[in-house]
Amino acid sequence: MMTDKEWTPKIVAFCCNWCSYGGADTAGMGRFQQPASTRVIRVMCSGRIDPLHVFNAFLEGADAVLVTGCHIGDCHYVNGNEKTEVRYQFLEEMLQQLGLEPDRLHLNWISASEGERFANFIKDVTAKVKELGPSPLKPAGVK
Amino acid sequence: MANVGDMVVGYATDENVRSRGASGGLVTAVLAAALEKGLVENVVVMKHINEFEAVPIITDNVEEVLASTGSLHSVPVNLAKYAVGRKVAMPAKPCDVQAVIEQGKREMIDLDNTYIVGLNCGGSMHPITTKKMLVEMYDIDPEDVIGEEIEKGKLIFKTKNGEEKAIAIDELEEAGFGRRESCRFCTLKIPVNADLACGNWGVIGDMAGNATFCQVMNEKGAKLLENAIEAGRIEVQPASDKAIAIRDKVNSVMEDLGSYLEKEIFPEIPDEERMQYYMDQMENCIDCGACKEVCPVCACGEDSKCTMFHSLVDNYKMSMYHLVRFMHLSDSCIACGQCSDVCPSDIPITLLQSRFSIPSQRRRNYQPGMNLDTPPFFEVMLK
Amino acid sequence: MTQKETITENKQEDELRIGAFICECGINIAGTVDCHAVADYISTMPHVTTAVVNKYTCSDAGQAEIKKAIKDMNLNRVLVASCTPKTHEPIFRACVEEAGLNPYLFEFVNIREHCSWIHMWEKEDATNKAKELVRMGVARAALLEPLESSEVPVTDAALVIGAGVTGMQAAMDIADMGHKVYLVEQGPSIGGKMAQLDKTFPTNDCSICILGPKMVEVARNKNIEIMSYSEIVDVDGYVGNFKVNVKHKPRYLDIDECTGCGLCTEKCPVEVPYTEFNEGIGTRKAIYTPFPQAVPLRALVDKSICIDCGACIKACERGAIDMDQKETFSELDVGVIVVTAGFDVYNPEPNNEFGFGLYDNVITTMEFERLINASGPTMGKVVRPSDVKPPKRIGFVQCVGSRDKNSNIYCSSFCCMASLKNAQLLKEKYPETEVYIMYMDMRTPFRMYEEFYNRARDMGVRFIRGRPAEVTENDDHNIIARIEDTLTNEIVNLELDLMVLSVGAVAPESTETVRQILKVSKAADGFMMEAHPKLKPVDTTLDGIFIGGMTQGPKDIPYSISQGSACAARATRFLAQGKALTEGITAKVDDDICVGCGVCVPMCPFQALSVEDNKLNIITALCKGCGTCMAACPTGALQQSHFKNEQLLAQVKNVFAYGEV
Repeated sequence: MMTDKEWTPKIVAFCCNWCSYGGADTAGMGRFQQPASTRVIRVMCSGRIDPLHVFNAFLEGADAVLVTGCHIGDCHYVNGNEKTEVRYQFLEEMLQQLGLEPDRLHLNWISASEGERFANFIKDVTAKVKELGPSPLKPAGVK
Repeated sequence: MANVGDMVVGYATDENVRSRGASGGLVTAVLAAALEKGLVENVVVMKHINEFEAVPIITDNVEEVLASTGSLHSVPVNLAKYAVGRKVAMPAKPCDVQAVIEQGKREMIDLDNTYIVGLNCGGSMHPITTKKMLVEMYDIDPEDVIGEEIEKGKLIFKTKNGEEKAIAIDELEEAGFGRRESCRFCTLKIPVNADLACGNWGVIGDMAGNATFCQVMNEKGAKLLENAIEAGRIEVQPASDKAIAIRDKVNSVMEDLGSYLEKEIFPEIPDEERMQYYMDQMENCIDCGACKEVCPVCACGEDSKCTMFHSLVDNYKMSMYHLVRFMHLSDSCIACGQCSDVCPSDIPITLLQSRFSIPSQRRRNYQPGMNLDTPPFFEVMLK
Repeated sequence: MTQKETITENKQEDELRIGAFICECGINIAGTVDCHAVADYISTMPHVTTAVVNKYTCSDAGQAEIKKAIKDMNLNRVLVASCTPKTHEPIFRACVEEAGLNPYLFEFVNIREHCSWIHMWEKEDATNKAKELVRMGVARAALLEPLESSEVPVTDAALVIGAGVTGMQAAMDIADMGHKVYLVEQGPSIGGKMAQLDKTFPTNDCSICILGPKMVEVARNKNIEIMSYSEIVDVDGYVGNFKVNVKHKPRYLDIDECTGCGLCTEKCPVEVPYTEFNEGIGTRKAIYTPFPQAVPLRALVDKSICIDCGACIKACERGAIDMDQKETFSELDVGVIVVTAGFDVYNPEPNNEFGFGLYDNVITTMEFERLINASGPTMGKVVRPSDVKPPKRIGFVQCVGSRDKNSNIYCSSFCCMASLKNAQLLKEKYPETEVYIMYMDMRTPFRMYEEFYNRARDMGVRFIRGRPAEVTENDDHNIIARIEDTLTNEIVNLELDLMVLSVGAVAPESTETVRQILKVSKAADGFMMEAHPKLKPVDTTLDGIFIGGMTQGPKDIPYSISQGSACAARATRFLAQGKALTEGITAKVDDDICVGCGVCVPMCPFQALSVEDNKLNIITALCKGCGTCMAACPTGALQQSHFKNEQLLAQVKNVFAYGEV
């Protein structure tokens, strides 16, 4: 089924149950159209998102990975997202040192009411990654 | 009475220990006194085999401690893990101390019950490298060596028949000999993170070669030193201003050298070439796991996140094992060089890891293994 | 180095039998996604016993089909690909549980909100994406493990923090259901802000006349122990088993001996403005009873102004006064906690809004309430502060500290009605007074409220739609409000004898302390946050802790009382059952792998983790299952059940495939 269609990146988005997953739902309810690039994986809190999961996504073939959660101050587990932020900074520094383009990894806070923001985020990242092309870590033959 | 901040010059009272010890046997005597007076239950020391071989042992025998003056070029093993689960006193290079403290942060070592006698370190050499260097650069039979010294950037070997030969360290290192790579860019030369910071820098005049300069870094250090004085094992006198100035001078020269060499050892790699650089460096990894096994700051057991989700089929690109390790050690790696030392594929792991950890640590103005105030990984920024 | 099996490998002994149900949701999904193609694709995956398409999987027919398939085909995993788990996961979990399957063996895939609705014009892409999403779900389903909720015993006692009208209602309801209640109040009397009000809308009853008997009733209730002039210092524990440390501030007298007779107050020579109750209008002594209807009706000494003259000690016939009294502490064991800690009124002084703080004759609603209150400092005579004369022209400014980007963006909801009420009272008492209400929108929802608004109009209250742009004072200390009436497009210079700022509600600092002690979330407006804005309005995300009244956000008295009762009902469920269920999704540790490094311990916001003897100890009842500790664990010994690394990585792996979909 390989067609001449334009290449679409594969993006893995980790979303927290309470906010950003809800944001993705709200995007659906509002029918905010987005490129079919992103696969959402739900966790209870963005604090659950382990660098391990991000590495795994890249090694399996992700062209970009999104780490999303509640806005700071809105975490359902007091301050899980603040811990996410700290981990993310380490992760970001590490992947940049490794030579991965910065546009392949994003952190964003999206509340359950921000459907349009979620959709715009996906559109924006997809467009940026399209320009970069497939990830250098993507195994050959994977789609 | 010894107080925090005291700087003294001292030596062992026992003639035998004093003459056999590298610099007046103060460290050996302090350790022996700690054991003798029940400050600790065990002491970690290097058991002398020959000039190029010594093994770390854990002992509760005072005689064994007194007999233990180290070898010149024993395998530069990190001693931190010898303190795990024990009430010990131990001699330690600055990087040993860092590792002990990192293990303390991870509840592996009870620092309240661990006494660390830090030793100044200008860098360590592999015994095999050293032997080869003696033959090739110095034209000395390794068996004839009885002593060595570093002075004014030169490495000096003394032989049985009283001869001395000096070659500039730069020259040796350019020829591929000399100190281990990780020691070259290290800038922690005086173990200010230990309980006592000891060494021969700043020992001057007729004391030179016969005494140890010792700085009391904390309450535990004061207790250690006081204990040895009370036990009659050592004699100390306040260090002169001149002695202190000389020690500082040597230290700053060594630090500057480390900073200078860091730039040489870590040349900039352009963004677009870095990924390929890391892939090339690691393509020979055979997944033996020795680098993890030997790492003195890692507290994990056999199973850990780096091994659990690692798959051999990833190796041709970038392995999960190394990615997780680069990440997990980015705030706590002390660049002691153990992983590079043991890698059977000669992958310069310490250098690769340092490319991640040094910038991360600097950005946060953080040096691992200096004190217990800053908790490990991920929590650094939270407070 | 150890090598683990490929992560998707099935470790279950029983043969996996997964049933996949793809929902068309009418045309919501089927209009974009080819559901049959998805079912065909998924039926070829390992372990998938059946893959069927339903018109509406959540309907009775759809659920019946799931149950039948579980029985007929002996399914041990069920996957539904339809809408969002946020609304439908509980429904399907209950469905599979009824068919005898553990509810945690159910996997939900969202192909509506996350697929068909957002790729409406790209049907092929949407179908491919749906296939992948379901593939990810099947991989995860294969690794799901049954989980049990665990049971903890519940201490049969409740703590209610704050004894305003909401807290009193909650305390009485819980007590009347037969449970012990500790009612802790930081002030010297229960009653809260309602005790300060003059009348209450929409019926204009006298506030203290309806509240007073209720206060007495609370005091008489044998199950309620009032702890006035006390504060929460520390709370430890979890649902069913909270340990609470309460500080009792010294009143400098023996509360059991004092009768509230007031002889001491008469003799006390020190007099200061009474800010706490009368908003600084009128005075109180250094030893005083809070107000005539106070419960407990006991005096207290304000040590900050007491001159130690000893007059009160001599005056007290019962020898109750003890100037050396120290603060004391109580340890309480309770099963549930209700927070009804109230609010503060917005303070316009720092920015001198509408001249407040600059001009004497600009006051707040709360000051007005005390002025017009028959038992207030002026005995209900409304006078203006500058010359103590009755004002003839009074204006109310609405939305001060509410609906304002410079202060608070929310609507405080009660202030329109409060001003309407005060305007009516003025018209009743002083019919000749000109009364103006300057407003943006008059908000009068709920029964009798709009009628109340109409009544104010009929009484001659004048409404100006607009807010003063400039407020100045003339030589007579009259207030000149320059205002555009946006209904007539006229600019008016309104001369008023007294201007009342209808101030909104803000979360007080004392509430913030309580919030942090309890670790309840804070909403953007600063008030405490409920678990769900619609479905769980008085619950918090913390089991066993409830919030009601103004603590949860601005509201009026009837709404607050309803929430007090709601809190009581929600809280008493635990007390009545004597046990609480804790969520099945929690942290678990593999003791063989854990080295006890303790890196995870400070990660937990709920203090569920501790290291003892180099091993991690998890208090499951405290764990909320957020998973933050697992991400920090270097060994991988910590796992979050239902979101195990293996399960999440199976999803990640199945985002991708070699070759064609």
